[in-house]
Formats: sequence, C-alpha cells, structure tokens
Amino acid sequence: MRRRHTALAAAMSLGLLTACGGDGGSGSGDGASGATLELWVMEGTYPDTGSYFEDLKAAFEEETGARLNYQLVPWDEAHDKFTTAAAGDTLPDVSEIGTTWVPEFADAAIVADMSDWIEDDGLSGDLVEGLQQAGTVDGQLYGMPWYAGIRALFYRADVFEEHGLEPPTTWDELLEVGLQLKDLEPDMIPYPVPGSSEHSFYPYLWGAGAEIAVEDGDGWTSTINSPEAVEGITFFTELATEHGLSVAAANTWTEADSLQSFQDGQAAMIVNGAWTVGNLLNEDESWDGKFGVLPMPGKDGGISPSFMGGSLVSVIEGSSEPELAWELVKLMTTGDFADRWSEETGFFPGQQSLLAEYSTSDDPYVAPFAEQMSEGGKLLPVTEKFGAVQAEQVVQQMLLAILSGNKDVQTAADDAAAAMDRIFQE
Amino acid sequence: MAIDTRPGPEPGSDTPPAGPDDAETARARRLTRQRRLRATRPWLLLAPALIVLAVLLLWPLLRVVLLSFQDYGLREIRTGESNYTGFDNYRALLTDSFLWTTALPNTVVFAVACVTLTVATGTLVALLLHRLGRFWRVVCSTAIMAAWAMPAVTGTYAWIWIFDPLNGPVSAGLDGLGMIEPRETNWFTDRWSFYAIAVLNVVHHGFPFVAITVFAGLLTIPRELPEAATVDGANAWQRFWHVTVPTIKPVFTVVTILSTIWDFKVFVQIYLMPGGDGANPAVLNLGVWSYVRSFGRNDYGQGAAIAVLLTVLLLVITVLYVRTLFKEKDEL
Repeated sequence: MRRRHTALAAAMSLGLLTACGGDGGSGSGDGASGATLELWVMEGTYPDTGSYFEDLKAAFEEETGARLNYQLVPWDEAHDKFTTAAAGDTLPDVSEIGTTWVPEFADAAIVADMSDWIEDDGLSGDLVEGLQQAGTVDGQLYGMPWYAGIRALFYRADVFEEHGLEPPTTWDELLEVGLQLKDLEPDMIPYPVPGSSEHSFYPYLWGAGAEIAVEDGDGWTSTINSPEAVEGITFFTELATEHGLSVAAANTWTEADSLQSFQDGQAAMIVNGAWTVGNLLNEDESWDGKFGVLPMPGKDGGISPSFMGGSLVSVIEGSSEPELAWELVKLMTTGDFADRWSEETGFFPGQQSLLAEYSTSDDPYVAPFAEQMSEGGKLLPVTEKFGAVQAEQVVQQMLLAILSGNKDVQTAADDAAAAMDRIFQE
Repeated sequence: MAIDTRPGPEPGSDTPPAGPDDAETARARRLTRQRRLRATRPWLLLAPALIVLAVLLLWPLLRVVLLSFQDYGLREIRTGESNYTGFDNYRALLTDSFLWTTALPNTVVFAVACVTLTVATGTLVALLLHRLGRFWRVVCSTAIMAAWAMPAVTGTYAWIWIFDPLNGPVSAGLDGLGMIEPRETNWFTDRWSFYAIAVLNVVHHGFPFVAITVFAGLLTIPRELPEAATVDGANAWQRFWHVTVPTIKPVFTVVTILSTIWDFKVFVQIYLMPGGDGANPAVLNLGVWSYVRSFGRNDYGQGAAIAVLLTVLLLVITVLYVRTLFKEKDEL
C-alpha cells in the first residue's frame, strides 16, 4: 500500500514536470532555406477572412522559399499579448499594429523604424496621409500603412422612408428628426448615446471645432474643457439627458452594444465603422437597403470629422530576418494582396493609388465612408501618453458622469482635462 | 523528453532479511541509515513537485514584489532593464485618496458581503442536502454542481443579461409590476446596485463549494450527538448552534478562509460588467485597478504595488483566521 502511494506520487510529480516542459513538437521542421517567419494579425473587426491568409502563406513561401506561420490575435487581447510577449521575448517577426499603439511601441522599441526601406523601395509617395501620419513618431515611420477604417452615421432607411423623414445633415436636423422618431416610433431608441464609446463622441467634439489636446512646445495640453468642446459635449449628452433620444442602459454601452441594438431593430441611428456594413449584410441579406449611411452631420452643414483608425504592418525590432520580414510586409500592403484585403474586409486600403477607386464609387455603402474619410478623417493625439489616457478611459468616465447625472458638463470636462494633463505631465 | 520514470528496486526499503543476529553494531548502523533514508525519501519524491511550485508560484511572486519597487514600463519590459525607485510606488499608492475612498472599501465591503452570504447559503444548502432522500439529494447536488462548474466568464455574462436594463428578465418583470421604467434604468452605473449584482454572481458561483464541503462535514457528525441533544430537549435551532457548529468548526474555518481569499481577488466578475473595466471609476476594486494600471497604462510598477498590497491584506486576514483556529484547538 505504502509502496503504491510513493510510486504514484513520483509518477504524478514527473507528470507535472513533463507537462511543463513538453514543447518539443512545434517550431521545428524548418524549410529548405531554413528561415521561418512569425506573423500576427488581429481579428474581430472584419468578417471571416476565409482563405486570405492561407493564400498569403502560399504566395510568400513560393516567392521566398522561407516558411510563414501566422496567428490570428483577437483585438481585445492583442495589447496584453504584445506586452507579455515583449517580456518573454516571444514577439513575432512581423505584426499588424493598430495606429494608436505606434507611439508607445516605437518608444519601447517593439516596432522597427521602417523609413529607409519604404523610401528605398519608392513606396513613400503613395501612402494614405492619415495612416502615414499615425505611424510617424519623431519623423520616422514605424509601419507600412495597411488599411484604414472610418466611422459614419448609420440610420434605418426603411423607418425614415415610412414616415417621410429626411436623413439629417446638420446637428439641428439630427435633433429634430430624433424628436420626431421619438413620437412616431415609441418602442425604438432614436439615437442611443453610448457612454463607453469614445469614438461615437469625438465627431461632436471635433464638429464643434474643438480638439482633445494640443501640442505646445514639447508637451501636450488637454483642451477638452474649452468652450467649443463643452458645446460639443453638451449637444451630444443632451440628446440623452434633455431630449430623451437615448435610454439609460446606453450610458454603459460600447460601440458594439450600439451596433447590437441597431441589429436588434431598436436603435434608429448609430455611429459605427465601415467594416460593420459587411457584418450586417453577411448576417442577414434583408438588411440590404434597410439601412443607410451618411457622413457625420456637421454642426451647421458639412461634415463633422470622425476618428480614422486603422492598421500598419510593422517589422518587429529584433527580428532575426529583417529583410525577409520587410518582403512579407510589402507582399501584404501593396499590390494584389492589399487590394484583395480591402475588398474582403470593407476597410480602405493604405495606398493612395488603391484608394482612388473608392472615392469615385457610387455604392451607397462605400461612398459615404469614402467622403467621410477624405473630408473628415481625424487622428487622436499622436503621443504614447494618449495611450494611457485611453487606458484610463478618461473620456468614457467623463461621458458616464454626465449621462448618469453625477456631474454637470463643465465640471466633468474640467475633471477630464485635469486627468489628461496629469497623464501628459507624468 | 522521455525520462525513465519507472521506479527501480529500492534496496533501502526492503525489510532486512532475517539473518543471524551476530553483529549488533552492523545492525544498528543499518538502522540509522534506513532511518535517514526514510527521512529524506519523502523530500526526494516531493522535490519535482516543489521545484515546479517554486518556478510557477514563488518566482512570479518574487518578481511582482521586485516590480513594485521599480518604475517599470513597456520600455523596461522590452529591454529587461531594472529601474529601482525605492518606495515611490507605495508612497504614491498609499497617499492616493482613490485607494481609501473607492478601491479599498469596494474590495473589502464586497468581500465581506460575499463571504458572509456564500457561507450562509452554502450551509443552508448543506443542511438541506443532509435531510433529503437519495433521489432528491442527487438532483439537488447535480444542480448546484452545474452552478459550480460554470466558468466565471459565462456566469458573469448570464448575470449581465438577467439584469440588462432594457431587455433583461428582471427589468421586464419589474416593469410589468409597474415598479421601474426600463428606458430610464441602468443598474450598472450606481456603485451599490452594481455590486449587488456582482455579489449575486459571486455567491451563486461560490456557494456550491461551501455546500459540498459542509455537507461532507455533516456526514462525519456521529448520529448519537444530535439524538442525545434531542433527548435533552434541544430544538433544531439549538442543535445546530450547540452541536453541529462546534463539531465541524474547522470545516467552517477552512471554507471561510478560502472564500475570503477568492472574494478579495475577484477580477473577471467585475471587469466584464458594463463599466467595470475602468469606465466607471466608482466601481473599481483592487484587482481591476491593478490590471488597468499595469496593462492599460503600462505602469507595471504601480500595478505590482497594488497587487502586493492586496496580497499582504489577504495574508494578514488568513493569519488571523488560522491563529484563531489553532487557539481553539489548543483550548479543546
């Protein structure tokens, strides 16, 4: 009996050891040329990518003779994964990088300075300006623009048509049509005001002529409590607090919750990204024609800017095969594969020459986004400190405090500005 | 990878062959050798497991403590350089009014509420199980096991849906009774209602463990004890407090300690709730705060300091518990 116990314990502890050390299989088996590249791509914002990455892998392996391993990383986990991989020295050779991460990743030497490569291969003249700007830190470009995404106003075309309503083109019209919908469709939510979505809010801040923060000398100062900003915040939050176009539940909604509500037939107007059009249509074909898209209405006409997000493809600093990695970046971000990517995902390409055909498109689900992008695409402050502002959710905290009635607009804006300045000065 | 794990014959453990007892000294020597072997063998056998534990638990723990004394950001992570700043992180943390007015009270009050309710509910369910017949006992324990087996993430989303102000069943029920207006209700923005929902979630997930453990404890109580008490005229209430509780007190202490440890470091159940990820600072607890500081703001030093504070808090509470446990044992 005793003997059996000790034997069992020994077997179990060895089992533990082997379970921890058992990583012999993967990673080996190099191809003839010896090199294997690791690629990370984000997932979660576009529909199924189908065979795209398998085809990319095949093309790359045929072209270079090296091997390519790719891994899809969900957006929400990606930032943590980069951090832990940086600590454990298991970063890939090439990765998709969200534009807002560039400053901190460049500062931490995670992404490589790619200016020379891009310059030498004659690619610098054809980059989409906003993406190039987002990828530039201290004059150096840390990634090759891959795709851009922009947000605009989605509205229920069928409901508008049924009641003979016109889609809004100014803030006054937006409020007016919202109030009419409130009476005509009491079960719907005319315009949910999502408190946990900064990007649904920025068009009103920027539309009022304000900035989140401005660069002065060598630092940043928040201007989210300027008179213009307060005007924008007031208009946006009063849609909920004064005019009842939203519901209390939306005070904690994210962009995805807004979309869900729109999809469930509850919300009549929402702000969302171009890439969700594909999701809507894929899920249910009857959505085709049931909703319309408009550029964000300007305060007194025109277009209010909205946040232009997107991704770059970057060579990771410390890759053992930097030249090969650059070949992969080029394969993804230029030519056929770049073209196919925007076609399949609904994002805009990162190259001017490819983007041109979109701006002349007459597809009602492409043209408004193209217009928004060319006339009202805006970036967040390009500094690694703004990453901390976002992580701390300073803007969302401000919105929630106003929407739940805990603070008035001016107080909440002053507090947000103070919180941002504290981070900027750290 | 393959290590030959088959234990070979162990000469030391063989019972000495019944030989002629000619040399007393040789035998004594052999006995000491055997005793020494017997003393070290458990450690030898435990060594692999202990090494694994040291690598997986002690080393990370030590790293967190070391991190908490540094100004450690993404750059330091990448380069692996140290950047010691003494007690700066702790000074900043302990002088931050947010800790004293929000994070710490949220953590402590929430944990106290959860532990109390978990242990109370678990005990009541255990008493119920004890009284049920075989069939219903199987049915009930299967049901509570299901609650236990549910991953925290799934459970949290279920509770979020149940309390969804717009489309959830609770809201629909209260609306039907005319008690609330769903379009003007959001339970997730208020600190108290937010944590009330979180308590429900955590208690629901935690009580099965208490119920099963206490039930096992109840089975060890000799039948004569409650019978004697009944004969002496004790009612059910008195039997519970004067017979059951004292007999299985160690069981209660253990489930209380474990529940306390779990409920202090609750993370997922808060982080996943609307506004719980930092958008609503009023509902942050130490665990989420530490995460947001570390991974959100890339301020790993501060995050580690918060984590160390949480650990120290837990250690103090556990030591107090264990001491009372041993004291009582001595008194018995």
